Amino acid sequence: MELITASAGSYPRIGTAPEKQRLRAEYARLDRGEISKEDFARVQDEVTKEVIEEQRRAGIELATDGQVRWYDQISHFARKLDGCEINGLLRLFDTNFYFRQPVIKGNVRWAAPIVVGEFKFAKKVSPIPIKPVVTGPYTLARHSIDKHYHDFSSLVADFVVAIGKEVNALAKAGAEVIQLDEPSILKNPQEFKIFESAVGEVSKNKGKARLALYTYFGDAAKLYDKLQSLPIDILGLDFSYSQKLAAVIEGMGSEKELGLGLVDGRNTRIENVKETAKVVAKILKKLDVDRVYLNPSCGLDEYLPREVAFEKLKNLVAIAKQVRAEMK
Amino acid sequence: MREKLESLGLDLPLLPTTTVGSFPKPREVMEARQKLLAGKLTKKDLRPLEEQATRFWIKTQEEIGIDVLVDGEMYRGDMATYFAENLDGFKISGLVRSYGNRYYRKPIISGKVKWRGPITVDWWKFAQSLTKKPVKGMLTGPYTMMDWSFNEYYPNRREACLDMARALHEEVKALADAGAKIIQVDEPALSARSEELDDFIIKALDIVTKGVGAYFITHSCYGAFEFIYPDMLKLPVDNFDLEMSNSELDLVEIFRRHPFTKDISFGVVDVHSHVIEDVETVKKRIKRALEVLKPEQLWVDPDCGLKTRTREEAIGKLRAMVGAAEEVRKSLSEK
Ligand SMILES: [Zn+2]
Repeated sequence: MELITASAGSYPRIGTAPEKQRLRAEYARLDRGEISKEDFARVQDEVTKEVIEEQRRAGIELATDGQVRWYDQISHFARKLDGCEINGLLRLFDTNFYFRQPVIKGNVRWAAPIVVGEFKFAKKVSPIPIKPVVTGPYTLARHSIDKHYHDFSSLVADFVVAIGKEVNALAKAGAEVIQLDEPSILKNPQEFKIFESAVGEVSKNKGKARLALYTYFGDAAKLYDKLQSLPIDILGLDFSYSQKLAAVIEGMGSEKELGLGLVDGRNTRIENVKETAKVVAKILKKLDVDRVYLNPSCGLDEYLPREVAFEKLKNLVAIAKQVRAEMK
Repeated sequence: MREKLESLGLDLPLLPTTTVGSFPKPREVMEARQKLLAGKLTKKDLRPLEEQATRFWIKTQEEIGIDVLVDGEMYRGDMATYFAENLDGFKISGLVRSYGNRYYRKPIISGKVKWRGPITVDWWKFAQSLTKKPVKGMLTGPYTMMDWSFNEYYPNRREACLDMARALHEEVKALADAGAKIIQVDEPALSARSEELDDFIIKALDIVTKGVGAYFITHSCYGAFEFIYPDMLKLPVDNFDLEMSNSELDLVEIFRRHPFTKDISFGVVDVHSHVIEDVETVKKRIKRALEVLKPEQLWVDPDCGLKTRTREEAIGKLRAMVGAAEEVRKSLSEK
């Protein structure tokens, strides 16, 4: 079994040191009309390279582009879909981060690739494999104000078609692993039926890529067996909300490859390497899959300062090293 | 709660107007704060500029005709960081993104949280000395302080929050002793994890307010209030100050089903939009509120702090708000 160190989403786009705050300053200049959108996009390109390089330097083996261009994980998709307008700010789950809420005013339709260009750029400049991230149809629907369908399952169904097209385009662009983020299902387990068919439909579009369903910001222990039944290749889990999750996995094993979110992406406290490695090793002993990913519990932009994010990833790599030593 | 206000000696009109707390800082203060961060100025150098800006906002609020004033928070950076810097047990982190291009420094709880002396009392006294109208005492609540901090010290959120509440109780007592009759405890994080309301938020607010004879307001925003309503009415405060216009007044429908039993400061202008609402728009929002609330329950204010708007936008929005409140007040008295 291979243990792979991975990112789980975003990476902080600015740092605390003045020389790391270029993106923030240029954003302000863009707002004031002092630079063009093209100039700003070039800065985003450079910062994307920087954050990929930081992940590599920390020892991460499967990176993301850091989502440097995203306003937030909801509106980044809704903005480019037909039928969606973007409304005011709303708190994202129980985080201190705010996203802009989509308002559905017409049929939701995929008009053009959303993150494919970002993925291609990252893939071109990165020395290590890149995993694109797509927010899932259920989570997008749950975060929208519906003024058009007046029926939640119809709204989900159209998001499914749209996100399916995006997944398909990413697979065609050469993505080997595509991460589909669906944090919302953990808070709404009663809607698993709708969710299940949504994931099933999206999965049909994955082509040769492997689909990684990532859940976070909630306790996955009680949904674990149901999540195992989904047509996905990798299941990502957030351990920071759940005391029991490790035991549940040890008891039930896993049909899927797992993404173990055992490093808390939302607290600056740095995990103890030995203790965390022990938890990982104990889970691994019960698994019979080809690969397991060790990653933070969630994306890191919005939740950690850049310097701590880097320390967290370095520490995650140290934990993986310890696990490998123990498993020998 | 009109009786409580009267017993505190507060003579407020129907539909009192107020604001949530922060106003935009003038350029001099912003620049001086930058220099302070760069070590080119001391806090002492900053003070006269902050006082001048506070004078401006007190005068402006009086001119516009607002009933319950605030000091405008010219001396604060971020609402959590400011308190963290003045309490024992905290460090401050590097920059974290909150939305768009906005970043803040997040507090880190790295030791036992303790009150080491008055934090906001001097500023409250200064602001109150400038006006005959009541000025609200303002602090960030224990749940938000905990939720908006990294926790490297306490074993869990509950213990961090309750110790925070004990520290803030001292601040509330100090404000009341100085003469503050209306005290606002800001809890924008209130609806973060609904299961924690019964678990320890009610208890925390109880610790903060216990034995203090003031009219308590708690401000919250960006919330998914539908998950904690009507349970949140159990919080030991007199008035909930809620963001309404940015959430398209969905809460009104919820109040129709479960009547709101306390006073409410009803957000009628959107603080995240550059567009200045006209009097008619604001009037409509107030009337919408009156469909489900008694006039005696209703206060009128913006959704949240106005610090991210320009001075002109802030003043424009407040004028529309006061104009609308006056017209509705008049039509109520004619009935
Ligand atoms: Zn607010």
